[in-house]
Amino acid sequence: MSETPKLVLFQCQWCLFAPADQEWVDTQLPENIHLAKVPCTGRINPLYLLNAVQSGADGVMVSGCLPEQCHFKTGNIAARRQLEEFSDYLNHIGYEQDRIRFLWLDLQDRGVIQKELAAFEAQITALGPAHNLATRVAETVGGANA
Amino acid sequence: MPDIDALKAEAKRILSEGMVDMVIGFKAGDTPLHPQPAFFKTPDEVDQLVYNALCQNNLATYLTRFPKNQKIGMVVRGCESRSVNALVFEGQHPKDGLYLIGVPCEGIIDWRKIVEQTGEEVFSIFEQSNNTVLVESKSGFFTLEKETLLHESCSRCIHPNPISANVVIGELLPEGDPALAREKVAAFASLSMEERHAWFRQEAERCIRCYACREACPMCYCEECFVDHITPRWTESGTTPAGMQGWHIVRAFHQTGRCTSCGACERACPMDIKMTYLTEKLNEDMRRKYNFEVGLDATTPPPFSTVTLDDKSRFVI
Repeated sequence: MSETPKLVLFQCQWCLFAPADQEWVDTQLPENIHLAKVPCTGRINPLYLLNAVQSGADGVMVSGCLPEQCHFKTGNIAARRQLEEFSDYLNHIGYEQDRIRFLWLDLQDRGVIQKELAAFEAQITALGPAHNLATRVAETVGGANA
Repeated sequence: MPDIDALKAEAKRILSEGMVDMVIGFKAGDTPLHPQPAFFKTPDEVDQLVYNALCQNNLATYLTRFPKNQKIGMVVRGCESRSVNALVFEGQHPKDGLYLIGVPCEGIIDWRKIVEQTGEEVFSIFEQSNNTVLVESKSGFFTLEKETLLHESCSRCIHPNPISANVVIGELLPEGDPALAREKVAAFASLSMEERHAWFRQEAERCIRCYACREACPMCYCEECFVDHITPRWTESGTTPAGMQGWHIVRAFHQTGRCTSCGACERACPMDIKMTYLTEKLNEDMRRKYNFEVGLDATTPPPFSTVTLDDKSRFVI
């Protein structure tokens, strides 16, 4: 695949403890990655993942805190139950499970998110564009203003 | 088949003794293939009560449509009693405001299969004791095996007996085999990704968005469904491919750990769209991962309503 894949990053606002990492995500994220910041991974309704998929995302990454390190005690564990099942369920009907990846970050991690995003992008590039589930809006060649 | 007179007598008794304000059951419908839900408020009305294998609605659907202080009696089969338990857990009706008349269920007949096999307008239908069904149609009488007419979700039913019913009328039946449901999910999962997706598209994109499945489902009681919400719009609600796929994906996913596999959604669908292959996969996952079966009691929370720290070893990156 020649084009770069379109990715969506759902990021819990507490999971990047290092200010440098958070600043990189906020300001220097590559253009093909759409950032959706959430107060906690527990806030991510599976519908948001579906919206990302139906808006043409080739891959979705969810980044949150490790168990017992959640800012809200158990939000991340509740999210894991639902989102893991949802990705398994999407796999059941034709959206590969590999396209949804969960990244559980330790508070002491530094520079992990950059490496993980690069690895994820490489994995999605190898899989090719997602084509199974219908997308909501027809893509306009050259962007919306073309 | 339960004794219909005993059923009527019990319904009359609870109404006349003032134990309930209303009994929800079935009465004869406009056509012989479609008995319809009925709400009996006086003992005299109970004479119209009907119960047979063609009663295809899940009566627990109507539980959420009445005030919580109303005492409701209900004729329940296995799936309905489990739906009632799940609704009681979700606080939709107090347990002591209910009187459940349990009926062990031998399976619901899919009327489409009768029409398919007789191919004619059906005038009348009689269930016979030797597990056959006598159908009178335009071109004469047909004797059909009941086994071949059962709805798909009934032929792999695990809990035919009512659970936590106040009284059970009729003899209890042997429990079903969970392996049957597992096999069906495994058979679908063994198809290739493209085949699974082709099946999903073929089913989902025939949808006319009438939302009969939502109305028939006892667990779909939200005052405003996610597809009806306008600002913000949670999902596309038009009849585009994405809108229809989104509806089918999320409708089923909202039933995770709540669906009792009664199949009322499929039976209600005017387009004959298959839906239980989605919900049964989710149910099977709940059984496998959390050892959870919906509605066995009214106190165990479904997996998505609770968390334990044991989960931290469950999901590895």
